[in-house]
Amino acid sequence: MTNKHLLIAVLSVCTASFLSCTKEPLNNLTPQESRIYVTNSDSTVNFSNYQTYSISDSADVLDNGKTHKELTGVDQAYIDAVNKYMQANGFKLVNKNSNPDLGINVNRIYNTATGYYDYNDYWDYYGGYWDPYYWGYGGYDYYVPYSFGIYQVTEGAVSVDMLDLKNANAKGKIAIVWNGLIRGEGIFDSSAADASVKALFDQSTYLKSK
Amino acid sequence: MKLFKFSFLFLLLALGLNVHAQQHELRLNLHYSYAMPLGSFKNDVISNNSPRGVTGDLLYGINNKISVGLGLGFQDFYQKYPRDLYPTGNHETTSAVLSNSVQIMPVLAKAEVYPFNGKRAAVQPYISAGAGLGIISFAQYLGEFGGSDNSAGLMLQGGAGFKVPFNATGSAGLSLGANYNMVNYKKNGFDNFNNINFQAGLYFPLR
Repeated sequence: MTNKHLLIAVLSVCTASFLSCTKEPLNNLTPQESRIYVTNSDSTVNFSNYQTYSISDSADVLDNGKTHKELTGVDQAYIDAVNKYMQANGFKLVNKNSNPDLGINVNRIYNTATGYYDYNDYWDYYGGYWDPYYWGYGGYDYYVPYSFGIYQVTEGAVSVDMLDLKNANAKGKIAIVWNGLIRGEGIFDSSAADASVKALFDQSTYLKSK
Repeated sequence: MKLFKFSFLFLLLALGLNVHAQQHELRLNLHYSYAMPLGSFKNDVISNNSPRGVTGDLLYGINNKISVGLGLGFQDFYQKYPRDLYPTGNHETTSAVLSNSVQIMPVLAKAEVYPFNGKRAAVQPYISAGAGLGIISFAQYLGEFGGSDNSAGLMLQGGAGFKVPFNATGSAGLSLGANYNMVNYKKNGFDNFNNINFQAGLYFPLR
């Protein structure tokens, strides 16, 4: 073998190893590890002042710019998990007609194609898909504290929003006081719901009733 | 075992092989590289050592003691940290597995000096120095969400090692050494990606 051939052989081996030996982060994640749990809260709110809550009986599905309500097994699993951890933190579930202190919306968000809007700003469209009449406060706008993050929802997500109904009349608006967002692989699977919602509550240690 | 090591060394010395600096000869050094992050790179970004690297030096012997040329390479650093909480906004908290991935590709003007060349020695020590660019790809992910940044920064390198020739001509052989790499990276609060790499490989002439 001439030196030229040796060089070509060695460089080929090096190039192959160069390309193959990089540890690609996304290929080294399990579905559980791929998930992120994001929570926002209104720092001016003391959650111990709230005792009761009601939760929507279905999920709002935001699918590439269109919205509709739905109750699949996945939605029910998320609703059940939220109920479980709200009650574990001392909140009492009541009917939405019984003047709950807090209202909870569960949303499933898809963005698989370029729609006429893409949820780059999750909050801007909130009033568009959650009718305040649902919570008995028709005519009020939703209010999101400026400190809440702007979510870049580019693929899919499940979100849980907590609304301050107790002070809606006094403030003339329905403030979102807490939000949890779940993203990553396998989140639209019922088996992921409990652990995902638990993670949201675990990192929100302030979210406790009296 | 110790006796074996001394016997092997004695044998090498007794053979009295000579490593020429190969004046006016173009030579290629090819190494496998194992690197260890240092300082803030180790403390703030990736603490894992990297067994994934190669280096290649194309050097021209301007006299018996000095060769100059181009130093290239690739080193891949990666670390996945267990799930933890990260503040990502004023009142926003994100729970995620954090992955950091850094690839460094040096493009250096390089010189190797063989202070004892010309003497009959089976093991020929060398020192080296390099200066140029470190092409850096830095990717950071929270879960599966994140992105990468590509940039180039000043890179300085100092190294030392020794070469063991295969034969009396000394034109090809084994090469072992280590380099201290200063890699400038000042972005997003990061300071540098300094590291030390250990390398082992072959050198041979290109005719």
